[in-house]
Amino acid sequence: MKRIMSLFVLLGALLGAGSAWADAPVQITLTPDSHNPAQPKMGDWLKFHSVIKNTSSQPVSGLVVWISLVQVDPGKEQPVDLEDWSAHKAALQPSLAPGQSFSVDWPIRLIQAGNYRVVISAAERTASTLLASPFADFHVERKPTIESKRILPVALGMPLLIAAFTARRLRRRM
Amino acid sequence: MNPIILIASKESGELLGSGRGLGWLLALSVILSVLALLLVSNTELSLLDNAQVVYMVMGTITALGGLLALVLGSDAIAGEKERGTLIPLLLTPLTTTQMVLGKMGGQVVAWVLMYALSLPYLWAVGSSGQNLVQAIAYLALFGTPVVLGFGFYAIGLSARFGNVRTALLAALITLMLLASPLLIGPSLRQSTLGKLFDMVNPFSAALNTFDSVVIDSQPFSMQLGRFSVTLIWLALTLWFARRSAQAMEI
Repeated sequence: MKRIMSLFVLLGALLGAGSAWADAPVQITLTPDSHNPAQPKMGDWLKFHSVIKNTSSQPVSGLVVWISLVQVDPGKEQPVDLEDWSAHKAALQPSLAPGQSFSVDWPIRLIQAGNYRVVISAAERTASTLLASPFADFHVERKPTIESKRILPVALGMPLLIAAFTARRLRRRM
Repeated sequence: MNPIILIASKESGELLGSGRGLGWLLALSVILSVLALLLVSNTELSLLDNAQVVYMVMGTITALGGLLALVLGSDAIAGEKERGTLIPLLLTPLTTTQMVLGKMGGQVVAWVLMYALSLPYLWAVGSSGQNLVQAIAYLALFGTPVVLGFGFYAIGLSARFGNVRTALLAALITLMLLASPLLIGPSLRQSTLGKLFDMVNPFSAALNTFDSVVIDSQPFSMQLGRFSVTLIWLALTLWFARRSAQAMEI
């Protein structure tokens, strides 16, 4: 329930940001790295580049930029806790003059399979709305982590091997 | 031949040549097999869940290694006494340190075998996950002092009590206490007492390192404190075994 509420809050904030886009003092672009794998799977790394530009005529200060990830698989819609996915969750810019920009790279390690949307958000000291980039979507292929074809031979073979060795040793001693 | 090596080869020969010793290895492999088979059905794990499984297997191997060391250690001196072979051993020109280290030789062989036995299992559950090589290396690095420390501790108890059953019971209680972090997760050990226990417990040090390295991919520099705890444990238990062997009554 808490996750659904968080999702609504996040989506609401982003919708709000969309309507206020024209007045936003800052513009954020988000592009996937050209070296990202075409069909990423669990364990791969993706990188996203974002450029944050002050498009207003006033300087902005105290700018905080952060990355958010949302899983959008039907029935599994939820914001993702980035703790294990990314060590780089936020960037700070004390001030940004009119026309000035700065870029931030966001590496992400793919932990779980599914369909995801990534977005970069920003909050400025005086702005009344959330500033956000467009979404970037990606799909993570499942990678079987525990495979029966690997476990069964070991789990069945090792005891049999030791039992055979034990029986042989004991037969020799008799 | 060096008397330590002589006793060590006798101890390891008994372990490998006897049905009892090989039966232990068989039992340990069955336990690891059951654990691995329980994981087969669960293929929908995330990458970190997989690392969690490797961590779990590493903890189980360390606990089983500790158990094996305790059983062998409890029999080391008290067993000789009960079988009437201790006095002939003491009549040889052996120092107590040589006797303790020689007895330990059998346990080193047992742990090496146990470690070798665990490698296919670690590969089976962890080869498609993360940090498998680190898992193998850190199991050797942290598991060895913890397991051998249990061995020295049991030899010390064996010398003090002179009775296998009493020594084994005391040793098992200690193992249950020290290995309790296997059952009690890190979130339940956040009280002051839990943190203090974790700080001095060599088993916690090994487990927390496995967690840190395999799940969180943290470097060795962050494990130095924990590594010191396991080495201090090994040194203290060696001292305890020597002192107990020196003070034993026949």
